Amino acid sequence: MDTTASVSKGVFLFTNGFKKGKGNKKKTGRPLFEKIFLKELWYETYKQNWSYIEQQLQELHHKSYSVLLNDVVDYIKHSSTTENSTLEGVIPSATLLTGVNQPDHVSQFTALIDIIRDEVTPHVALVNSQDAPSIKHLVENTVWQLINGNKALENYDDEVEHISPTKKLRKSQCTMKALKNWYARYESPVKKKPSNQTKKPLVIIIPDFESFNCNVLQDFVMIVSSYVSTMPIVLVFGVATSVSALHKSFPYHVSSKLLIKVFHSHSSAVYMNQVLEDIFLTHTCPFQLSGKAFELLTDVFLFYDFSVTGLIQSIKYCMMEHFYGDNLKSLCCDRDQVEDLIMKFSAEDLENIRQLMSFRPFLEQQDCRTKIKLFEDNNFFREALYQEMDRHHDYLYSFYMCLRLLCVFVKDLPKSMLGRTVREIYTRCSAECVTDTPAFKDCMQLLKFQSQFKLVESIKNALKIINSYLQVVSPVKPLRTSPIKNNLNNMSLNDDLGQNFVKSLRVHLLTFLRQIENANTETTVLTNISPEADANDENVPGNRYKLKEKLLKATRVDRVQSEFEMVRSRFVSYLEDMFSKGLQSARTQPFHEILFFTDVSNVRKHIIGSPRGAVHTALSNPVHYLQCSCCHLPSSDSVIDTLPDVCLAYKLHRECGMYINLYDWLQAFATVLHPDEEDDQRHQHPLTQLRFTRAVAELQFLGFIKSYKRKTDHVMRLTW
Amino acid sequence: MTSSGSGIRLRFSVDDSTSNANKFTSPSRRPTRVRAKPKKYGDFLDLTPTKQKSYKDISSTDEESDHDLNEAPQKPTALFCDDDVEGQDMFKFKSRHTKHDLHNKVKAAISNSPKASDSPMKTPRKLVHSALLNSPHVKVSEGTPKQVKDIIKKRIINEVDSDSAESDFSGGSSSDFVPEESNHETDSAPSSASSEDEEETQQPKGTVGKAPKTKDSKTKVNDSEYFVTPDNYFMMHSSKKIATSDHTLARLKNLNIDENEAENIELSSEHKSCIDNLCQTHKQLYNKWLYVMSENFNIILYGIGSKRSLLQQFQKQKLKEFPSIVVNGFFPSLTIKSILETIVIDLLENSSVPSNIGDIVNLIDTQLTENQMDLFLIVHNIDGTMLRNSKAQSTLASLSQIKNVHTIATIDHINAPLLWDHNKLSKFKFTWWDVTTFMPYIEETSYENSLMTHRSGALQLSSLKSVYQSLTSNAKGIFKIIIEYQLENQKQAHYQGLPFKDLYSKCREQFLVSSDLALRAQLTEFLDHKLVKMKRTYDGSENLVIPIDNVLLQQFLEPQIS
Repeated sequence: MDTTASVSKGVFLFTNGFKKGKGNKKKTGRPLFEKIFLKELWYETYKQNWSYIEQQLQELHHKSYSVLLNDVVDYIKHSSTTENSTLEGVIPSATLLTGVNQPDHVSQFTALIDIIRDEVTPHVALVNSQDAPSIKHLVENTVWQLINGNKALENYDDEVEHISPTKKLRKSQCTMKALKNWYARYESPVKKKPSNQTKKPLVIIIPDFESFNCNVLQDFVMIVSSYVSTMPIVLVFGVATSVSALHKSFPYHVSSKLLIKVFHSHSSAVYMNQVLEDIFLTHTCPFQLSGKAFELLTDVFLFYDFSVTGLIQSIKYCMMEHFYGDNLKSLCCDRDQVEDLIMKFSAEDLENIRQLMSFRPFLEQQDCRTKIKLFEDNNFFREALYQEMDRHHDYLYSFYMCLRLLCVFVKDLPKSMLGRTVREIYTRCSAECVTDTPAFKDCMQLLKFQSQFKLVESIKNALKIINSYLQVVSPVKPLRTSPIKNNLNNMSLNDDLGQNFVKSLRVHLLTFLRQIENANTETTVLTNISPEADANDENVPGNRYKLKEKLLKATRVDRVQSEFEMVRSRFVSYLEDMFSKGLQSARTQPFHEILFFTDVSNVRKHIIGSPRGAVHTALSNPVHYLQCSCCHLPSSDSVIDTLPDVCLAYKLHRECGMYINLYDWLQAFATVLHPDEEDDQRHQHPLTQLRFTRAVAELQFLGFIKSYKRKTDHVMRLTW
Repeated sequence: MTSSGSGIRLRFSVDDSTSNANKFTSPSRRPTRVRAKPKKYGDFLDLTPTKQKSYKDISSTDEESDHDLNEAPQKPTALFCDDDVEGQDMFKFKSRHTKHDLHNKVKAAISNSPKASDSPMKTPRKLVHSALLNSPHVKVSEGTPKQVKDIIKKRIINEVDSDSAESDFSGGSSSDFVPEESNHETDSAPSSASSEDEEETQQPKGTVGKAPKTKDSKTKVNDSEYFVTPDNYFMMHSSKKIATSDHTLARLKNLNIDENEAENIELSSEHKSCIDNLCQTHKQLYNKWLYVMSENFNIILYGIGSKRSLLQQFQKQKLKEFPSIVVNGFFPSLTIKSILETIVIDLLENSSVPSNIGDIVNLIDTQLTENQMDLFLIVHNIDGTMLRNSKAQSTLASLSQIKNVHTIATIDHINAPLLWDHNKLSKFKFTWWDVTTFMPYIEETSYENSLMTHRSGALQLSSLKSVYQSLTSNAKGIFKIIIEYQLENQKQAHYQGLPFKDLYSKCREQFLVSSDLALRAQLTEFLDHKLVKMKRTYDGSENLVIPIDNVLLQQFLEPQIS
């Protein structure tokens, strides 16, 4: 019997042996999932990689917010020191224009709180709109958080605990008066010791200004303003739209109590680019997104939610999907772990690797003996695999560097054919061999017209990138272990990429830079002569024919290039060569499936989800799901009697207008089911009626129709 | 250029972003992208001459603003792919539905079905269909010349007139009790199907404010080329008239079918096995769900068919060792408070639930982490009626956000995704799973508010009967008097109910009560059971009304009489 079907209850609890506070902490504990997955190789690697990425994100996060947040913190510091000089009852307040992507703000505000705690004051309160439906709640929450300080928001250190009064206030006792008393007590002992120390300000953060009730906030500001003289309170508003929201919801008598300073935060697109470029589009990122997947995620960001946290979650999901249940993927790891992992692989895993699509072209390059060995000798294969993975890492290293170089050269070109940001260029490069595309050729063409100054500048930028890359990689380099056995000599390997490539690139660029800087922009004397020779003819005015002749001749004469131009064209052709080597599409690489995530369509379904589409497909074309032989339809509109009842009713109802007569609907339903019976009889079948009512009830449940009161036995359609 | 509704919306969002960042768009993409998606709706629209003009000026203004920015709108490239369902299929307006649509569909279905067309021996039956289907209007919709149509129209009008003249006469062949107030359909021609005269009776009314017939037949033909055009929407809603027939379900003989028989509905064996296969494939996802949830994502299941058994199996197989809470979102008197109480009081054994939602969530969070426990929240129909308010959803969202709470929810309503704004969505962190099962929604639709039970009135009738059984014979008599009076008089325009005085005198005639007071005592019982309502009129007299459908009363009365 179904235990969760009841007419008196809607919520059912299955404790499954759980008892609160019993000693079974060990038994249930956190590893509940890990119990299932922990043995797996891929799971370990996944965990490792994700924690690495998370840590990187954290760093980036603080770095990218720091400029803005430091401004805010400086302001808070400053306002708390100069507070005495300002007018009576005016609250210093910072307004943070955050943009509409509110889910991201949580992290921003927690970062702000961290900084404020570190640098200014331990007393920060953050009140969300959902916790403060009325002024009472708002005050209670604020005061409670201020007094109980750090513990309220997270488990900070306990150092404040002995400062704050031993007896904890209950929430209902938290009023402004209590706060005042507490603050007086709290400040007095502190003040005695270092007399020059200023009072610690109390910071109140309101992160989602717009979703608050205006009246609540107005009252709150008025109340706070009457206490400002005794306690240094600073307000921080997070405003999603624009400053005018603040002005609109505060009338003059309220806004006059506020000393507002506005801070602008970055737009989320900038932040997204930063996240992608610094974390995911690097050779150090253990997990690579294919161009298509990448495009999907950025599209979701740009067209749906503008939320960087959402983007990161999606990437995380892709990563989970990439690793799930596949030991091969554990090779997505640090370079120096690859060898150990390969040794751990079972014969089955190796067989799976041999099944990879990209193994085949790799195989064809080898000679006959090696081929056989690759198939039969697991150890030999392991070694080959290791070499290839190593090469792959080299490839990634030079690929991402070339990508950035390309970005440097291309981003300022008119029309920005390849895109302006690294991520745009990446989607291009990973999808196809970019050097073969017309857009790339056009870009190179345009580079041939660039001025000396501009070119020098971009080469300098490029050198900066190269240098930073060389710095990053050099400690990693010595870790490369020598091959286990030297029996790989007969394998043909592609010319090396990786660090040597980058080094030679650096040398080339340096020489080009020198040459270009020193190059003479003047065209040589020889070219100067020819116009002079014709100079005497020029004096004849109005001779159009002559002029035309002259121009024609000018085109025919080979223009002798200046030194700069020559160097420039050499430089560009060098770039072309270099890029065609460095920017090969990932698909051409052997074993790219291991490092690159490609299963976009699957992930897309789970990230975006299309409930309406699924319902529609299921109802109009059930074969899609059922895979039965009986319901094949000539077109999506047609109707046959074997369809499931809901589908049949759905299709019939689509033919009706706003209102549907149930009787007629039933009639049609019955006619389709029993075409060969007497008209009067067929809809009288109890079973038919039953099936029909069931179908109708389900359609109502799905929200296609609802009952309509004004005419008996009619329903209303809820779709068009 | 985009021109579909969604396309325009998307464009705006991107324009915002370009003005914000001015950085990340690439004009060069535009041509390639447009070319890359010939199947997309916007391009499709551009190909049609009719709409081209009206959209041109919009797009041209857009173009100018684009030039100002020196940026071109970016189109999503990877968001859509070929196996998407075309939005047009789902959301297009049908400019005007006619009654023929349903009719033609049925006809086409029958003619397609092998039963009718394959076997030559079934010709007599085919005649029957043709009798049903070859009503004049079907011909009209096939494109009849105008003169013929006029003639037919006249004939119909005549017929209808004659119909309404003899409207009191009930043909009675189809149903035993045709209610007298139904002002139409007397099967004047016994052979003609009822669906035929449904059209006939309605036709003249419909034609008053309606588009000419020719248009109807034309729209039928061009149906596949329909586009979202606002005009059609207004066309649809321009006439307030409901162009449907006046048939009621009262024509059915066995109006109230015992619902328990619903289990008898059988699927074809092939469908059964197909559905089994589907469920099996879904069950293979269980481990993956666990994995996804372990990474703090939550799961939402969608698709046609009841997903209850699937989730029950999941709970049984995988969640044996973990505390879990099952919420029936479709339960009509579910409250968000009861969910919270179950967690805070029943599971975590606290004495009371804090008033503030933020506090509750904090409490649950800290206690769960203290106990190192993972709680699974299984919500059948998170889009259920009682969970449709934003407060319930934001509570659920904040619950799901807790690291140790894992939510699996199902949705069935087509508009369910509208429940969540992006704050809630980011808290929920849903991953979407299509688990179409085609299983009947038995539990979900079993509650009283569903159309099925309401329609047949079985519940009302049975409760009426059971109360009636328990009455004394005198009380039964009184009740019967009220019913009979109501059935006789309800057709009056302003039926006020049976005046108390009349009832008293009638009861006295039948020796049912002896005094005014005794009658009142009897009536209180009815009033308590809400069998009868007391209404006061302007003049202060009390009137008694039974708040139950007439048809039901009739049915109720029938066995009593016999």
